Amino acid sequence: MILQIVLRYSIHFISAMMGVIAFSAIFHAPKSEYLACGLTGTIGWLTYCVARDLGTDVMICNFIATTVLTLIARIIVIIRRNPITVYLVPGIFPLVPGAGIYYTAYYMFTGYPQLAVTKGIETIEVAGAITMGIIFGSFIAYEYFRQQREFRRLMKD
Amino acid sequence: MEEFENKGKKIREDDPVGKQIPDHVGVMQLASLMGEILLSNGAEIYRVMDTVQRVIKACGYENHSVYVLSNGIFITINEGGPDACTSVKHVPIGSVNLEKLARVNQISRNLCNGYITREMAFAGLQEIKQKVNYTDLGMALAYAFGSAGFDIILGGTLFDSIAAFLIGFGLYYVLKFLSGYGHVSRFPSNIAGALFVTVFAGAFAASELGLSFNNMVIGGIMPLVPGYAITTSIRDLFNGDYLSGIIHLLDAFLTAACIAVGVGVGIMIINYVGGGTMPL
Repeated sequence: MILQIVLRYSIHFISAMMGVIAFSAIFHAPKSEYLACGLTGTIGWLTYCVARDLGTDVMICNFIATTVLTLIARIIVIIRRNPITVYLVPGIFPLVPGAGIYYTAYYMFTGYPQLAVTKGIETIEVAGAITMGIIFGSFIAYEYFRQQREFRRLMKD
Repeated sequence: MEEFENKGKKIREDDPVGKQIPDHVGVMQLASLMGEILLSNGAEIYRVMDTVQRVIKACGYENHSVYVLSNGIFITINEGGPDACTSVKHVPIGSVNLEKLARVNQISRNLCNGYITREMAFAGLQEIKQKVNYTDLGMALAYAFGSAGFDIILGGTLFDSIAAFLIGFGLYYVLKFLSGYGHVSRFPSNIAGALFVTVFAGAFAASELGLSFNNMVIGGIMPLVPGYAITTSIRDLFNGDYLSGIIHLLDAFLTAACIAVGVGVGIMIINYVGGGTMPL
């Protein structure tokens, strides 16, 4: 049972890593940042997987995962000194509702308009959750760094 | 007013282009080139504005004003003075290139800290602007591995992912072929890309190897999904650049709609060819 879970997560880890690194190549990220991009996206995706396996609602899963992803990207920025866009853009892709877009179109064109509407609304909800996640993550990072700055200034005085 | 006009004329007569330009015009050209590279390669508005302002300030001009939209940069230096100058630059929305972004960021940081001179920065920027840092095969493989990887994490099996690998590889060449026709809008190329993915996934599904049509399409369309537009629009909105944020948000919605149309047309074609008996 535990072995199964470990195996499943390792498969997810490897494929998410592969996918995100490939996407950082699609967006021409610097070659030295591939691993950092991959790590950002993979941690975001694994957070989503854990939250989903614990039975959380899809929207909350996406929200938590995107928040974690944004914070990780922010931390890597401090270490690697690059624009945060470099890590955030490829990293967000596992969470973007590509499957939702597909299922909406699929049900629409195979004669299940009601299912299509359900899927469409779910897709928009997921996109909204991602939005909220990025905003929340950015806000936490912003607040944290503001406090750090103030703290440093106080120490100087 | 007349005095300013005369003075402007005089500068132009005395200094033909390329011979010698006033200092603040040189600074403006540098800042505007920097902003252009950042904006056309996918930086958010706040970063472009911040970088341009920092560079102008680092070169010693306090009196300046910068306004950036998602496809234009407006810079004025020494407004109201006799040597006021303004630059208006149209920047068409290009493809995202994160390496150029990172390198321009590096140059601007070095310039502001005084590690490099203005001339070195300008030369560096021009080199970055010209540079092509990828090959077609590399990009096609990136599309292929991206499709394959996301196919597995979104529920596909190993064999689905191999099929998605081939579809992704072909998708890059389809998009490249379409972009060869001069200025093609992104909408038809997105529809055609999604159509290509769906039809080939249908062909793989019809081969009776037990492949899942849904998973192959989901993996295949991942490179088309507007992840970049969503991210940038949210960050622009978060920074208060509502106009540019809304433009990217609209872009994201329309791209998603185009993908849906492409997939839908593909399914109709598969149903028509297979007479409704295809295992979708």
